Amino acid sequence: MSRDEVRTSNAGELRVVNRPIGRHDAVEKLLGHTRYAADLDLPGMVHARLVRSQIPSGRLLVRDVSDAVKVPGVTAVLLGEDVPNNEVWVDVPGQTTEVRALKASMQILATDRVRFHGEPIALILAETEDALADAEEAVRVEYEELPVVADPAEALAEGAPLVHEQGNLLAEWTIDRGDVDAAIAEADVVVEGEYRTQLIDHAYLEPEAGVAWLDENGVIVIRAATQVIEHFRDVAKILGVPASRIRVIAPYVGGGFGGKEDMTVEPYLALAVHRLGRPAKMVWTRQESLLARAKRHPVTMRYRTAARADGTLLGHDVDITSDSGAYAYLSALVLLYSAVHAGGPYRVPNMRLRSRTVFTNNPPTSAMRGFGGMQVVFGYESQMDRLARELSIDPGEIRKRNAIARGDELPVGQRIETSVLLAETIDAVTERAGPKPAPSRSGLAVGRGIASNLQSYGRLVWLKDSASAWIGFETDGSLQVRIGVPDIGGGQASSLVQIASEVLGAPLDRVALHFGDSALTPLAGTTTATRQLYMSGNAVLTAAAQLRDRMAAEVAEETGQPAASLDFVDGMVKGPDQSLSLADAVAVCIRRAAPVATLATFYGPRGSEVDRRLESGRVFPDFTFGTHLADVEVDLATGQTRILRYVASHDVGRAINPQSVEGQIRGAVAMGVGQALMEEVVVDRGVNLVGGFFQYLIPTSADLPPIECVVLESGEGMGPFGARGIGEPPIGPCAAALASAIEDAVGARPTTLPITPERVLACIDEAAKA
Amino acid sequence: MSGFAYVRARSVEEAASAVRELGPEAKLLAGGQSLLPLVNLGLARPAALVDIGGAEGLGEVERGNGTLRIGALVRHRILETSPVVADAQPLLTAAVGHVGSPRVRNRGTLGGSLCHADPSAELPLAMSVLEAEYEVTDGGGSRSIAAAAFAVSFFTTALSEGEILTHVRVPPAAPGTGWGFREMTRRAGDFAVVAAAAVATCREGIVESMRLGLAGVADRPTRCRAFEAEAPGTPVERLADLGDAVVADVDPPTDTAASGAYRTRLAHVLGVRAAADACARAMGRTP
Amino acid sequence: MTAHASADVSVTLTVNGRDVTRTRPAHVSLLRWLREAGFVDARLGCGEGVCGACTVLVDGAAVGSCLVLAVQVDGSEVRTAVGLSEDDGSVGALQRAFLHHGAVQCGFCTSGMLMAATELVERGEPLDRERVTAALEGNLCRCTGYDGIVEAILAVSGSGAPPA
Repeated sequence: MSRDEVRTSNAGELRVVNRPIGRHDAVEKLLGHTRYAADLDLPGMVHARLVRSQIPSGRLLVRDVSDAVKVPGVTAVLLGEDVPNNEVWVDVPGQTTEVRALKASMQILATDRVRFHGEPIALILAETEDALADAEEAVRVEYEELPVVADPAEALAEGAPLVHEQGNLLAEWTIDRGDVDAAIAEADVVVEGEYRTQLIDHAYLEPEAGVAWLDENGVIVIRAATQVIEHFRDVAKILGVPASRIRVIAPYVGGGFGGKEDMTVEPYLALAVHRLGRPAKMVWTRQESLLARAKRHPVTMRYRTAARADGTLLGHDVDITSDSGAYAYLSALVLLYSAVHAGGPYRVPNMRLRSRTVFTNNPPTSAMRGFGGMQVVFGYESQMDRLARELSIDPGEIRKRNAIARGDELPVGQRIETSVLLAETIDAVTERAGPKPAPSRSGLAVGRGIASNLQSYGRLVWLKDSASAWIGFETDGSLQVRIGVPDIGGGQASSLVQIASEVLGAPLDRVALHFGDSALTPLAGTTTATRQLYMSGNAVLTAAAQLRDRMAAEVAEETGQPAASLDFVDGMVKGPDQSLSLADAVAVCIRRAAPVATLATFYGPRGSEVDRRLESGRVFPDFTFGTHLADVEVDLATGQTRILRYVASHDVGRAINPQSVEGQIRGAVAMGVGQALMEEVVVDRGVNLVGGFFQYLIPTSADLPPIECVVLESGEGMGPFGARGIGEPPIGPCAAALASAIEDAVGARPTTLPITPERVLACIDEAAKA
Repeated sequence: MSGFAYVRARSVEEAASAVRELGPEAKLLAGGQSLLPLVNLGLARPAALVDIGGAEGLGEVERGNGTLRIGALVRHRILETSPVVADAQPLLTAAVGHVGSPRVRNRGTLGGSLCHADPSAELPLAMSVLEAEYEVTDGGGSRSIAAAAFAVSFFTTALSEGEILTHVRVPPAAPGTGWGFREMTRRAGDFAVVAAAAVATCREGIVESMRLGLAGVADRPTRCRAFEAEAPGTPVERLADLGDAVVADVDPPTDTAASGAYRTRLAHVLGVRAAADACARAMGRTP
Repeated sequence: MTAHASADVSVTLTVNGRDVTRTRPAHVSLLRWLREAGFVDARLGCGEGVCGACTVLVDGAAVGSCLVLAVQVDGSEVRTAVGLSEDDGSVGALQRAFLHHGAVQCGFCTSGMLMAATELVERGEPLDRERVTAALEGNLCRCTGYDGIVEAILAVSGSGAPPA
């Protein structure tokens, strides 16, 4: 059975896949047995903590640890000079080493300059947790404060202080498609807007953590909460040791969302073990995580949009600036996503896009769910609503009129190769929501908004992505799967078990999955970019199909039945005349000296590297499309906004595990609502003011309505069985849908996130004046 | 977290004596829901904790002659579910339901909340509006402090060194008193941005007496004296016209949660609403 | 500023039915005490009492164990999520409901949610969505969007929609 056949098969024939089977990891989590990264202690272990910069910009004049090392219980205090290779080039994480590194560097421990509030300066290693705090107080750091670059505008101004010697401009991307000036000139209507999104934290419930030790073969083993086990390569470079001497293991992770995509604790743990030869443990506090972990890029967008009187889009003139904070991390790639997604799920015949990502002394920014593709939804959907209002066209109708379709190209030149069910998602949410309700009492206003989006799944094609999986039968017919994928809670591992079971017929409870070990499981790449189901799913599918075909051939010869007539199901190989148990089929293969295990690699689509001018055509493998609808009730005197109803619809291609799909949609919406209405890391001239979860407000269950999902299955995705990625796409439309609903309720549109009650009240005031 | 000396006091006298001995860096520990977060965040470094949580005689809710006498160690959850309190002072029942999360309410105590003196907190506000009296002792003598005079600034009370709050006396409500409580938070269970509490009596649709207080607009709970002076004699449906009086002496700070201007507007709206709710209830209606 | 030495105190707690005695400094929170005793299903998410990952039952009341000193509750009965299982180690009714309704993703909030839910369900009051979400105000989840959790609790309390 080849992959292509499975993709187009009737969903009704699927036995394990496409069923809402409870995830196999969920039971252990419910029983309380799961050991996350911080749940391990080893004899002789030292505890590690970082001393961090108290100021956003300065030269380090003094780094005196002489008192700290004398504090009882302190084993060592390390500085940048103690790191064999303290300078790291920030590169694209993952299995590829062919990509040109971004020319920006970071230090593991700062020696000369600090560029953000919270930058690591020293590493304390102590016998007990309690000694860490005492040692921290005893480290003496003296700074020469340097001017602070507080935002991208300041950074780009003439004579601005330099955050890095190379200049404050990190990267730019441009798109020039068609002639946008002509489009604006000939347009019946041109609408403009400036939109701002804010600095956001991942706020996973599990803070960054890990334990590392030296094994009996002299390999440094790091068991850390990570989305990327391939960082063993980066750690090896930092220590100046061969890559084969570092092993990274990913336990179940308590939430990643992109925040555990870069290295966090890994280099420090490795340094400790390398230095002391003893195990080491590091657990960040929540406050430390909010302070220093790289966050979601704040983005300022200016759109000028031209259209005909019937609502047909003629073009966008777009300008995007993102704040990279103090270090590069993944900022250039995040901005690339913003640029490619900036036109939305529509036909945009003309576009001029200018974009830049800029260094400042703000907290560094990097990957977070949606990765630049989600911020621009707020821009392009706000523009669609402006057009709809200006032209008196129904918001759903104007979107349908402009919806991109198979065969059309995005502004960057990428052709859409799969079906686009955008209109269907618009209809789905509208139908499900029914008529807009009336306000529950006077003084309140009800509004409804919709927003559509596209979000890529799978990594940029020029990263030449791949994923490998090993599958093998045991003699008793049970199945083992080994694959490097880290499971960060999205059911990554569970779906792979389902796929293997579907293809090879081994019952779910007889499939064991071993994942996330850079030494022992074939590398499957990062759990990011909504790529795991697509890449690892296809890797498992490929391996399983290969194994099935080989075994079928052996059983066919042995039993005299055609291979094509054999069905691997319910623990059996069933044939028209004779059936065998899987154990017996394995025995047949072994007797015939045929393999009962296989390693396979799935390669994502390949393309050439993009240039600063984006016109290379295919950038991503494919996209997921969707629409959300929100009904809100606004208190006109206070601006407080309650979400009455929220409906989300996406075409997921094929829902491998429908319960997981709905879980991803709901979780993404909750995160999107948080960004839309209440979350912000407030920074004042580089000083991070957020002291904890009491100030960084993520939604509770009482802040959210039930999130209704209408899942469409076109069967046409590039993932296994026609699946499309769903981890990131549902976070995109939330802010735009809510802004739209609020505008409908109060008569003016919020253009800055988060849309706090205070900002809603400002809109109410604005509408009253008009 | 650095360590601290720990002393368990079995009575108020023991607690007072321990605090005297250990000096100004000693703190009382009751429910811990205000103090321990500060310790965990490194914002408080007490040299010693005197655990008063098991002290005798401070955990009762008593009603005599209409006066409620509530022990300082009564947990929020007990206050929230007490039928005696619901009957005697429903404003308290309403206010305490907004304190923190259910987790916090299972441990936090009345005395702890009042002595923490967070200017946004619900219970100091409610007690001020109810004109409660706080009984305090230093182990030797005792005295009474009016609720409205108890908080003197941000997280600072009128307690002298060594004094411990033991009971709160809430005077009986006049017959026909209605209550109102309104709060705005940026997220469910969060600290109040602004809260308003009111008690009122009415006669034939006219306000007879009115007390209104605000939290979150100053360094301590604020009584709206101008509004309280103007409201009596006003028809209930015209209360909104006195909105400016609610915020007459209010000049809230700007911080990361809200601007001063927005807090003022909130105070205006929530103050009038709380007052209107109190009047509605006073007239036997559901607001 | 010098370190303040905490005196060691001996604390005995009955954890999930078993007596556990440990001698630790007085400043050790109940959360840390439990984790050091091997009950790692009580988790540290924030240390501020906001996220609820540390929620356990102390004498039947759900508390944030990061905001309780172990010594404060000496002699109490403590229940953690591990204690909700059946005697043979299989999942109990509440856990089964969580599984059925998709209430678990990364699992980090799960122990705390289970304990908050246990307190609510054991109270025996009639529940609706509003009461459940009010009870869960002190338990944050970043993965699920909460619906599965709420539905699971309603199902166990008998107030939910009948199983599909």
